[in-house]
Amino acid sequence: MTGLSLGEKQFIQGGIAQDLRSDGRKRLTYRPIYVETGVIPQANGSARVRMGGTDVIASVKAEIGRPSPLQPNKGKVSIYVDCSPTAAPMFEGRGGEELSTELSVALQRCLLGGKSGAGAGIELSSLIVVEGKVCWDLYIDGLVISSDGNLLDALGASIKAALSNTGIPRVHVVAEASGEDQPELDISDEEFLQFDTSGVPVIVTLTRVGRHYIVDATPEEESQMSSAVSVSINRKGLICGLTKRGGAGLDPSVILDMISVAKHVSEQLIDRLDSEISASTVSCSISQCLMWLENVLNLLSSLATQIEKRLMI
Amino acid sequence: MEYVSPEGLRIDGRRPMEMRKLQAEIGVVAKADGSAVFEMGNTKVIAAVYGPREVQNRSQQLSDQALVRCEYSMANFSTGDRMRKPKGDRRSTEISLVIRQTMEACILTQLMPRSQIDIYVQVLQADGGTRSACINAATLALADAGIPMRDFVTSCSAGYLNSTPLLDLNYVEDSAGGPDVTVGILPKLDKVTLLQMDAKLPLDIFENVMQLAVEGCKAIADYIREVLSENTKQLEYRRGL
Repeated sequence: MTGLSLGEKQFIQGGIAQDLRSDGRKRLTYRPIYVETGVIPQANGSARVRMGGTDVIASVKAEIGRPSPLQPNKGKVSIYVDCSPTAAPMFEGRGGEELSTELSVALQRCLLGGKSGAGAGIELSSLIVVEGKVCWDLYIDGLVISSDGNLLDALGASIKAALSNTGIPRVHVVAEASGEDQPELDISDEEFLQFDTSGVPVIVTLTRVGRHYIVDATPEEESQMSSAVSVSINRKGLICGLTKRGGAGLDPSVILDMISVAKHVSEQLIDRLDSEISASTVSCSISQCLMWLENVLNLLSSLATQIEKRLMI
Repeated sequence: MEYVSPEGLRIDGRRPMEMRKLQAEIGVVAKADGSAVFEMGNTKVIAAVYGPREVQNRSQQLSDQALVRCEYSMANFSTGDRMRKPKGDRRSTEISLVIRQTMEACILTQLMPRSQIDIYVQVLQADGGTRSACINAATLALADAGIPMRDFVTSCSAGYLNSTPLLDLNYVEDSAGGPDVTVGILPKLDKVTLLQMDAKLPLDIFENVMQLAVEGCKAIADYIREVLSENTKQLEYRRGL
């Protein structure tokens, strides 16, 4: 993004003050959100979310592992974000590392709770297979393909969508083991357990420009911010995490006000996301049906030509 | 292991001379000057082009032509086992170099002195033939960016397993240990810009396999031409022509 002129800066600030942003939105309106699930067939779950020009992909991979001795009844989840250089030339080589780390840490704080694993938005005890010995390790990877502001919200939404698309294979314990040995496992290829995502929070970032807050800021608006607060809220309206960015100080009453505004916005966002996710799962299965039909028809036509050839000879 | 069944079908049901399903889309990254997604079967690659723009590192500036730079990176989730290090490893550096040299041969760099063209390729799903998919995606992205080129560069791979030349290897066939020939051509000028092979192959069989790969490249060139003319029609329509 090239620098903004003084006139452009005043236009952005003035527009926000009048509840009319540069692209015509109101202060608390999100850009159109598109969700596609199952974009990475090799992963256990995946989703792609587009918010305006921002495009992110999240994938969830599950591997068998050992639970940590401090929490023997909980599985492990790790979140890692990578900024692809396709989003901006400055992400080339190691240029995107700083932003990637910042986003990974913010997401971990919002979705995974504290170091002890307490208060996690994702239910970790559902990942345990054999207490103390075998658990599922979830690796959530986010990839930023195109960056047009509000990366944290888009990544939060894509992780929620990817988790709703995730199928954990059913595991049967074949042979019990005593002491330190690992029990033998039979990992099913057929049966999958759908992950329960009703408790997974979404992230709402409120950017303060002048005296007003906006939601879903574009990079131009973000450059004018004095501070930003990212709140992660779940369906019940409970706050799961909070991050404040920006150097300007905020009065505590302002922060409480921002949190209540974020709560109000999050209800609409969660409804919208849920409807988009369920719409994409339905269209996924319809398109799969159509592809299967196409394959069958191709096979039949090739068989027909084979038979024709044989008959002619 | 049998890679070609007695009836002449490969592991995924294709015939030996059949390519995987191609799918391409232009203009996916809004902020880039040009971008494209290219899918060859399960291999999915996204390419973005930024340029021509001012050279960032003055010491690398060339006074008579444009500087072409390329970076290849794979997403963490692109391969079956999760990768720890998405970029900077030796294979990525080598493929970045290969793509850069291939695209540099076709871009008319003389027309844009003292400028820089950045090509970024990101692999979303890897199932064999990533090198070829990256080159094809980069060609589309450069065309979308409006950068002057001599011709498209299209690329395809071919191998030789169970005494049969096979076109467009997927990951399983690639890791079988047989030869893997990757060819990149300028289809209209009928020139070869990229030729790589690993493992051993007798010379007469090599000619057949390379010819097969070149045929594959020409088929991809037809598809790319179709995609670009469709895109131009859409642009004309939107402009009201």
